[in-house]
Amino acid sequence: MKPKVAFFDFTCCEGCQLDTLNIEGQDLVDLLAAIDIVEFREIHTGNADHYDIAFVEGSISRESGIERVKDIRGRSDLLIALGACAHIGGLNCLKNHLDMDEALEIVYGEDKKYYDTIPARPVSAVVPVDFFVPGCPINTAELLRIVKDVLLGKTPELPNYPVCVECKMAGNVCVFEQGKTCLGPVIRGGCNAICISAGRHCWGCRGLVDDPNIDSQKDVLAKYGLSVEQVVEKFKIYNTYSEVAK
Amino acid sequence: MREHSVLVVDDEPIVRESIRDWLTEAGYPVATAETGEEALELVATRDFSVLVVDLRLPGKTGIKVLEAVKAERPWIRTIVITAYPSAETVQEARRLGAVDYLLKPFAPDNLERLIDETLSSIPPEATVTTVEAPEAAPVAVVEAIEVKQSFVIGNGDLRALFDGLAETMDVIGVVARNGKYVYDKVKRFEDLRLDYDTTVHPPTRFLFPARERMLAVSFDGTPSAEATIEAKPQVLLGVHPYDIHAIELLDEVFMATHADPNYITRRQNTLIIGVDCLRPSPNAFAPSMGTAQADTGFDLLLTDLGTGYMTRVGSQRGADLLAEHTDAREPNDNEIASQKALLELAAQKVEVRLNVARERLPKLLEDHYDDSYWEEKSEACLSCGSCVMVCPTCFCFDVKDEVALNLKTGERIRTWDGCMLTDFAVVAGGENFRHDKASRYRHRIFRKGKYVLERYGMVGCVGCGRCATACLPDIASPAEAFNAIAEKAKIETARRLIGKVAPDNELYQPKPAKLLRVDDLAENEKVFEFQFEDGSTLGHAPGQFVSVSIFGIGEAPISISSSPTRGDTFQLAVRNVGNVTRAMHKLQAGATVGIRGPFGNGFPIDTLEWKDLLLIAGGIGLFPLRSLIQHVIDHRDSFGRVIILYGTRSPDQRMFLEELEAWKANAGIEFHETVDRGDDDWKGNVGVITTLIPGIDLSPAKTMSVVVGPPIVYRFVVGELKKKGLADEQIIMSLERRMKCGVGKCGHCQINGIYACQEGPVFTLADLRNLREAV
Repeated sequence: MKPKVAFFDFTCCEGCQLDTLNIEGQDLVDLLAAIDIVEFREIHTGNADHYDIAFVEGSISRESGIERVKDIRGRSDLLIALGACAHIGGLNCLKNHLDMDEALEIVYGEDKKYYDTIPARPVSAVVPVDFFVPGCPINTAELLRIVKDVLLGKTPELPNYPVCVECKMAGNVCVFEQGKTCLGPVIRGGCNAICISAGRHCWGCRGLVDDPNIDSQKDVLAKYGLSVEQVVEKFKIYNTYSEVAK
Repeated sequence: MREHSVLVVDDEPIVRESIRDWLTEAGYPVATAETGEEALELVATRDFSVLVVDLRLPGKTGIKVLEAVKAERPWIRTIVITAYPSAETVQEARRLGAVDYLLKPFAPDNLERLIDETLSSIPPEATVTTVEAPEAAPVAVVEAIEVKQSFVIGNGDLRALFDGLAETMDVIGVVARNGKYVYDKVKRFEDLRLDYDTTVHPPTRFLFPARERMLAVSFDGTPSAEATIEAKPQVLLGVHPYDIHAIELLDEVFMATHADPNYITRRQNTLIIGVDCLRPSPNAFAPSMGTAQADTGFDLLLTDLGTGYMTRVGSQRGADLLAEHTDAREPNDNEIASQKALLELAAQKVEVRLNVARERLPKLLEDHYDDSYWEEKSEACLSCGSCVMVCPTCFCFDVKDEVALNLKTGERIRTWDGCMLTDFAVVAGGENFRHDKASRYRHRIFRKGKYVLERYGMVGCVGCGRCATACLPDIASPAEAFNAIAEKAKIETARRLIGKVAPDNELYQPKPAKLLRVDDLAENEKVFEFQFEDGSTLGHAPGQFVSVSIFGIGEAPISISSSPTRGDTFQLAVRNVGNVTRAMHKLQAGATVGIRGPFGNGFPIDTLEWKDLLLIAGGIGLFPLRSLIQHVIDHRDSFGRVIILYGTRSPDQRMFLEELEAWKANAGIEFHETVDRGDDDWKGNVGVITTLIPGIDLSPAKTMSVVVGPPIVYRFVVGELKKKGLADEQIIMSLERRMKCGVGKCGHCQINGIYACQEGPVFTLADLRNLREAV
């Protein structure tokens, strides 16, 4: 019996589901041979009562979302958070420092009466989450690894080392050595330092390592010329929901 | 180098390698073989003047090797070594032409002398030269380009060399990137930089990649795994000497033992062309680590003279490359002087230096294991692993399985890992054996300054300074840590000098002890019973010794002959042999002497308990052993069988006669005695003490043997015990050494690195195997 798999989205850009759909070639053939996709709004209309694995993309930012994700959780053996919004709250949490009414006003103006909103939060703040696929967007190789691990009965694990490790493995010149700044030293690896390899810096989309030395990282950023406000802003982009940006 | 070469054949690595090292140091070219078969292969293909062969080899024995050598290479002189001499084998070896034999263990000097003597008897023409013939060298511009020589090549030559190499292999060199330098595949000669300061990452990644496939696995049906090795021919062009040293360390790690097939294949496909570093990076300290220049580890080594490149040839392949691609010529005097000046200038430019000799680092670190420095310094550590990821001497790795989506096949992948990463030492239960930043930080610095050096004999840090550059909180530089610890040590020493250490006032001050009674034991031996005048007890363990002072005459170390189980007094049995003992022999009951001690480690009672004991005393070896025998008798239930062997030269040398009778009568003791020469009244065994051993039936697995006697006894008794199947760890001895202070300072009792009065006088044979001065 192939496991029944479903995909759901909450507050997000659906980019992680889109990237999932970008899996192609032999990988796609093998994946569909291994699992049964029973619910996935972006590709078909079917649904099911019970899921072996439910992937949830997006953060929870409306009262109705709380009920809906609880319902999904109740009908799923495994619930896996897909992408930064579901994993750590992500960009949506940038509004959390505002009054919610003010936030609605800014976005919808006088149409705000048609909408409700609550401070955005990761899925794990509402229901228990079994595993996480980090990233904005996700790394599909990592998604496939986690799926394979689950199918093989292995506990999927995320690297608990920072981006620096894979950045060094990739042979990059450190962003700091280039006179710029980067969140890599405290952000969880697993992305093969894709942004730095492409000439940018780490924005922190994969969340913090388990035991980050935030004080030291802030000192480092300050040493490389950032003010306290700038340091906080840097962390806020993806990690508002964690304590580090406060 | 001497002209005669030696082949050493022994299956025991320690013996084989020790002999190789001794003889290499003495200047002989040495080859080694582990088995008779391997030896004969070597003898068939190369010329040797002398063969040193162990008689007991697995497979083809030493005697068989001698036979074959005598038949095929009769001019080779052979020396046999054996730990188990017997008249038959020695005769047989001589018949087969062995010029001499040596008993194991033996001292380097003896072997070297024997070889010198052997060789001096060989007429020079009898031996063919032993230089390995290189492959026919291609026509060279310089008549013969030889290894270890230096030549000069021009810029055009270097380009020709580059182009020639690029035709057949990947050229890995240094290029500029993002304002820094990195190693990468170089396509165009114009991109190659030889004037770089240092690279962000070391070249070792091309020998030990960040990620590689070790196995292709399949678990569809019968699980199977197949080794996978990927290696392409490549040249590392422009490697700085410190990185050459790092590669030599990796060679040692991956090739010396448990030869790593992936590394070796890549290494064998790699040429190394070095370039001297004339522009050291601000964080580098290679001169302090002895790695600023390289003598080995390269095929070619360039120095950029500005007008051309001084090129040192490090291998035959290097020589061939020069001959094939360049118009190499001999350097002139100006060029030689210029190279020297450039290297000196480069060394002067180095800004970071160790304030302590690197040889002192292991001890210095060991003494500061618990220092607060590690905690303080690691406070800012991000655990980001950057320091270990850019380190040329780091080689730790992780191994993981990755499966294909078909869930039937997969790969076992090796990736870099590092001890500075949080989860490096975590086990499945969740326990992290290096759970805090301080312990990880300390571990890395200890690897760099101590562990690697001790394990592999090469420096664990080559002073490239990359970690210091990569570390964002600026805490990674080993030089900084080494200097900080050295500074702490200096301050501690200074504190000691200002008198904060409480003196041990009794260290050299003997304590008065009253002589209670004296008994004659033999012609020159007496036993003395003492008690401290203040009523205290000696508090000794069997096998320890004291220093006895006869004021005005001097002080002498004397082993304690009685067990602490026998009351508050202690007995010293003493042979009249020197000034102090002569004075002791004149003492009457009631006299006062001075006692310091007890000193030394004593017999390892914990290890002996619950075992069968074979206690062997030769002559006055009984004096120290008696303390153990008494202890064993008084705790008889804590030991298995107790067998005592006692040998003396003649019946009148036998001592403690009443106790000997009591041991004989004791049903819990098997007591056997012999004398070298009997007399008319002697009815017991006659023969040396070794003759008692073959008749004893032992259970080797649960027996511990304690042997005390003169050196000659050790040599032969050990051989017999080995025949009985006892391991080196099961044979315990007490060694005599000159002792003065008893507290590990005066230096008289030192055996190689250890002090007999501290770590001894009791040792296992296993301990002694590493102490070449011991017997």
